[in-house]
Amino acid sequence: MLIFSRYTWWVATMVGLAMLLGVVGQTGLLTPLQGIFLKVTSPVEGVFATVFRPVAAFLSDAGNLTELQDENAKLRLDNEELRNKVTSLQQGAEQVEELQKALGVTQNVASGTKLAASVVHRDSSPFTDVISIDRGSNDGIKPGMVVLSSQGSLLGTVTTVTSSTAFVRLVTDTKSKVASQILESKVEGITRGSPNRGVSFDLAASQAAINVGNTVVTSGLGGNYPQGLPIGRVSEVSGSSQDLSKKVTVEPLVRLSTARTVLVLTSFSPQRIGLDSP
Amino acid sequence: MFLLVVLTALAQVSVAPLFPISAASPDYALVALVILTVFAGPTTVMVALPLMALFLGFASDRSPGLLLMAYLPLLPLALYLEDSRVPLNRYAEMAVAGMATGAWARLVLAFGAIAGGADPSFGAIVGQLVIPGLILDFALLTLVYAPFRLLGWTGRGMSLQRSRW
Repeated sequence: MLIFSRYTWWVATMVGLAMLLGVVGQTGLLTPLQGIFLKVTSPVEGVFATVFRPVAAFLSDAGNLTELQDENAKLRLDNEELRNKVTSLQQGAEQVEELQKALGVTQNVASGTKLAASVVHRDSSPFTDVISIDRGSNDGIKPGMVVLSSQGSLLGTVTTVTSSTAFVRLVTDTKSKVASQILESKVEGITRGSPNRGVSFDLAASQAAINVGNTVVTSGLGGNYPQGLPIGRVSEVSGSSQDLSKKVTVEPLVRLSTARTVLVLTSFSPQRIGLDSP
Repeated sequence: MFLLVVLTALAQVSVAPLFPISAASPDYALVALVILTVFAGPTTVMVALPLMALFLGFASDRSPGLLLMAYLPLLPLALYLEDSRVPLNRYAEMAVAGMATGAWARLVLAFGAIAGGADPSFGAIVGQLVIPGLILDFALLTLVYAPFRLLGWTGRGMSLQRSRW
């Protein structure tokens, strides 16, 4: 009975401590301690990542060899097509630049100042998809800043910042909600993370025409993201025109699991009045 | 013990996500706590468990309070299994306590995420998180426990008097 009593006291103390930590965590009092911990332990995390990432990549590649071969063949075709498009787009971009200069139009905010950062780790489950990066408040990172892939696609937003580290909620996190639109048809909606690291597009208008292969970009509504950042491509549209709402599945343009370097858009200040909150 | 807790917390956020089964990742923190319970005794775990929750919370930007609640059933469950008349050997007690705590931990963290604004999907919780998690926990606990037993370590009881301190 005495033993049980001691365990009972310990459990009661732990429950009290858990509640205390929950309250203190909400006030942000633990953030400086978290910053010190992350700063001290970052070399160890680096060693772990260096050792185990190649092992995981090897195991993953070995398990998906046929799939990778098919993907490689498809990518070769896509690459050729895209090179042709790039050539024509470059010509168009030069014309646009000349016209912008002539009209005094300012550049899109998405092409503003970016800060490169390395991914330290990724915490992923069906409900959370968060990465930490090796840049923090000392580098000018603030909560709410937009994070892009090295190719410029939307990855997520900064949620927590310590002096040397920042945590980024990815678009695949189920708490993530981004005001967005279909590039081809200008249909407005909300891109949100879905369980198991997927992304879905919730339509504002149910009768809108959306096709597989359409590109989803940020709409800029709400002021939390710049307009026109690419998010992904529509990979599946289910539901008939009679349905109240169609289910639109989006495949992110960037393979989030392999992202090693990201860009933080430091020149953009989010309004924090919209859908996504850190 | 302190070093083991810190290294395990770091491995949990930087190594475990690299080796998922479905959507579940191996829970190194749980395995370390179970092994400490068996071979270092309950008193050590009484200190290690809140430290693990704190450091894991820091490393993964999750609530340390929620993580503490997630791993809390381990010791009472291990004590119950030892004191009960259920015919289980030490390994089976450890495996049952570990797997049950692992399932509880994943449920707590999933419901914590839902309470924080994530869309509820109970099918995903059970099918992609809890069941693969149970398999992972069982495999990992067995893998880690076996070498200790081969070395002849028998483990400690859950009674506080018979513990090290």
